[in-house]
Amino acid sequence: MSDTNTVNTLERLANLLRIHSIQSTQEANSGHPTSCSSMAEITSVLFFNVMRYDPKDPRNPAADRFVLSKGHCAPILYAAWAEAGAFPVSDLTNLRKINSDLEGHPTPRLNFVDVATGSLGQGLGFACGMAYAGKYFDQSDYRVYCVLGDGECSEGSVWESFAFGSFYKLDNLCAIIDVNRLGQSDPAPLQHDMETYRKRVDAFGWHPIVVNGQDVTQLLAAFKEASETKDKPTCILAKTFKGSGLKGIENELDWHGKPLGDKANEIIAHLRELVNEKTLVRPQISKITAKVAEIKKDKEIKLSSPPNYDGKKEVATRLAHGTALEKLGKGCEYVIALDGDTKNSTYSIKFRDALPKRFIECYIAEQNMVQVAIGVASRQRYITFVHTFACFLLRAADQVRMGGISFTRTKYVGSHAGVSIGEDGPSQMALEDFAFFRTIPNIVCFYPSDAVSAERAVELAANYDGAVYIRTSRPNFPILYKNDEVFEIGKAKIVVESSNDVCTIVAGGVTLHEAMKAAEKLKGVGKAVRIIDLFTIKPIDRDTILKSVNATHNRLVVVEDHYPEGGLGEAVMGALAGQTNVKVIHLAVKEVPRSGKPAELLSKYGIDAEHIANAVEKLV
Amino acid sequence: DALPKRFIECYIAEQNMVQVAIGVASRQRYITFVHTFACFLLRAADQVRMGGISFTRTKYVGSHAGVSIGEDGPSQMALEDFAFFRTIPNIVCFYPSDAVSAERAVELAANYDGAVYIRTSRPNFPILYKNDEVFEIGKAKIVVESSNDVCTIVAGGVTLHEAMKAAEKLKGVGKAVRIIDLFTIKPIDRDTILKSVNATHNRLVVVEDHYPEGGLGEAVMGALAGQTNVKVIHLAVKEVPRSGKPAELLSKYGIDAEHIANAVEKLV
Repeated sequence: MSDTNTVNTLERLANLLRIHSIQSTQEANSGHPTSCSSMAEITSVLFFNVMRYDPKDPRNPAADRFVLSKGHCAPILYAAWAEAGAFPVSDLTNLRKINSDLEGHPTPRLNFVDVATGSLGQGLGFACGMAYAGKYFDQSDYRVYCVLGDGECSEGSVWESFAFGSFYKLDNLCAIIDVNRLGQSDPAPLQHDMETYRKRVDAFGWHPIVVNGQDVTQLLAAFKEASETKDKPTCILAKTFKGSGLKGIENELDWHGKPLGDKANEIIAHLRELVNEKTLVRPQISKITAKVAEIKKDKEIKLSSPPNYDGKKEVATRLAHGTALEKLGKGCEYVIALDGDTKNSTYSIKFRDALPKRFIECYIAEQNMVQVAIGVASRQRYITFVHTFACFLLRAADQVRMGGISFTRTKYVGSHAGVSIGEDGPSQMALEDFAFFRTIPNIVCFYPSDAVSAERAVELAANYDGAVYIRTSRPNFPILYKNDEVFEIGKAKIVVESSNDVCTIVAGGVTLHEAMKAAEKLKGVGKAVRIIDLFTIKPIDRDTILKSVNATHNRLVVVEDHYPEGGLGEAVMGALAGQTNVKVIHLAVKEVPRSGKPAELLSKYGIDAEHIANAVEKLV
Repeated sequence: DALPKRFIECYIAEQNMVQVAIGVASRQRYITFVHTFACFLLRAADQVRMGGISFTRTKYVGSHAGVSIGEDGPSQMALEDFAFFRTIPNIVCFYPSDAVSAERAVELAANYDGAVYIRTSRPNFPILYKNDEVFEIGKAKIVVESSNDVCTIVAGGVTLHEAMKAAEKLKGVGKAVRIIDLFTIKPIDRDTILKSVNATHNRLVVVEDHYPEGGLGEAVMGALAGQTNVKVIHLAVKEVPRSGKPAELLSKYGIDAEHIANAVEKLV
């Protein structure tokens, strides 16, 4: 619909959004008005013509979604929602203030923001997740729009998302790259070479449309073309100018992230004339036409059947996890699983085989996998479980970090913990995963040491209203618990205990079983020890540890298949800080390990039964 | 600007930047220093991890530490960087608290035969040290000291300066405190901390512009494990922070001078 009235209105709205971007950043004395200006027409067209949504009900699950991947343009995003009627325009002057949710970069503290952005290159992946859910899970007509900057297209994660979008034929997804030529400190590598952008997008299987990004008519036509393009997503390549519409600043380097200062008034005055607000008739926001089925949420999500390890001797926790995940999927229809081409190692393949429509193969692209999971989980319709080797989850550390800022409920499952994996060697061993995952505010970190607890970890994870990390192991472990054992977040289990224990050992996974072997050795020389299976490293069961340490002559050995920093040892010592007279020995992997048989490695790195027993002897 | 032929602009692609740095540094002809915001270095966590397995001598420099950056908000704040970087075997982690020590950190980093992480900050800090002050890896500095200190405070970066302001407040109510600038978080100067804690009635406040896990607090508590009778209060950022003025954020998240002084009062 390109009649002159519509076009004229949208142009004027674009300038109005420019004014708000300048004024709010001026008031805050920080922010990115020039980056906002280049995307003013894009924003105007999307918010006041193309997108179907309800400003009074921004989280409506049937509405079109918008992701601002170039999150530093928060001011224009806020301006658009304000002008659409989501909140008073006067609130825009509270940008970046401590008592306002209009933060410097968007976070879902705002009800019109689904995912936090600001770390570049992640938004398209979030949008892919939303689009995948829309097309395959919700099977609805809503569309997903994502605006990226050109500088951020240097991020590899962006291209992981491009590959994913075309592979899964996400034709309900439209990306817009705001090619304004200038990055923060230098021009972006391709500057205005629109042909190379077009070729790259085309090569990745998307439908490219090159437009003058300041031209409303061309943008309207492009979005219409996108909506009619089937079987492949569209990427609009908008040639723009940083600071467009801002006299004297347009297309100049050195204006990134700077309020306009003493140039503001003159520029605003000029823009006001163009807007002529007195005669501006705001268009109706397009109404939501898509439908989504209501998802009936379970009060309590349960595994379809309880753990059953009768007659089983030894089972790996990674396998038990796969078993549980399948049972979880059968017990709850809104659980989704993802994997990065490791599903036959992480055992998410069991879920895939049983419930293929709810499994997303993300291939060897962990950053995008996490981004997609966070996108699928947004608006809290689905619960996502992400799987790969624990060490490869660190490939997506920044995405997990941003997920924390989004308060995502995504669950991260990392297999192949520590040196206990054996011959594959250190590149495949996670020895720093707890150090990182523990830092995510409010995350729960599970470290199940047998199959029964591994299954319950999955169930507890699904019910926890926040992010979760589960560390699973490769080797087979003896079954420790009865099938009907009850587990709780933050509650450790004492697996070996007597009335004359001389020392407490805290361990997890492979080291828990090594500790039990050590206990046998020590029994032989008349020493009894108490062994604690933490189950959750965060929150940590301080009470149980403290009570046990106090009852065992204040002697404590903590042993972990992890580097010394940030894992079980530091978590325990942190929990016990301020306790008097505790004698601790901390066993961990203290150097870069190597390939070898698991048992040889456990010994070489000082975390096997022999070393544990020696540590106890030393303390006693 | 000074040495353009020796600068590689890697654009917004941190994984590749670290990969390129490790490649340039291989066969030990060149020493590489990688730079971005500390939180964006985590985008290359797996590359840094593999760099550790390669025994690379690459030096990683992360700026914009913590909530002290202010209005840009949490997406730009590094609050978990030490937790990750400390895990790299044999890495040296510097946290300079003033300009003099920041310069020496770079020099020490270049001479260290291994990987290094340097955490730099955005706000202006007072100069703490004389121009000719000597610094060593693993050696902390005591920046405030007297013969009747009632408590030790361990801090770094912005919190070191907040601790010094707290010391002024506490002086006003007749309480003297000892303040330690760790300089290197890894290796940590256990001896200096222990000596100081023992000389200050076994009272210790650790305060950091970092989440509670894996940073200064856990490093210190780990170093002191097994010591008897140490009473510790650990101040850190305990939730996802938000945008605001730096001073407001330091206060809101409990790591400013006022909260440090209160913690000392509580212990005493």
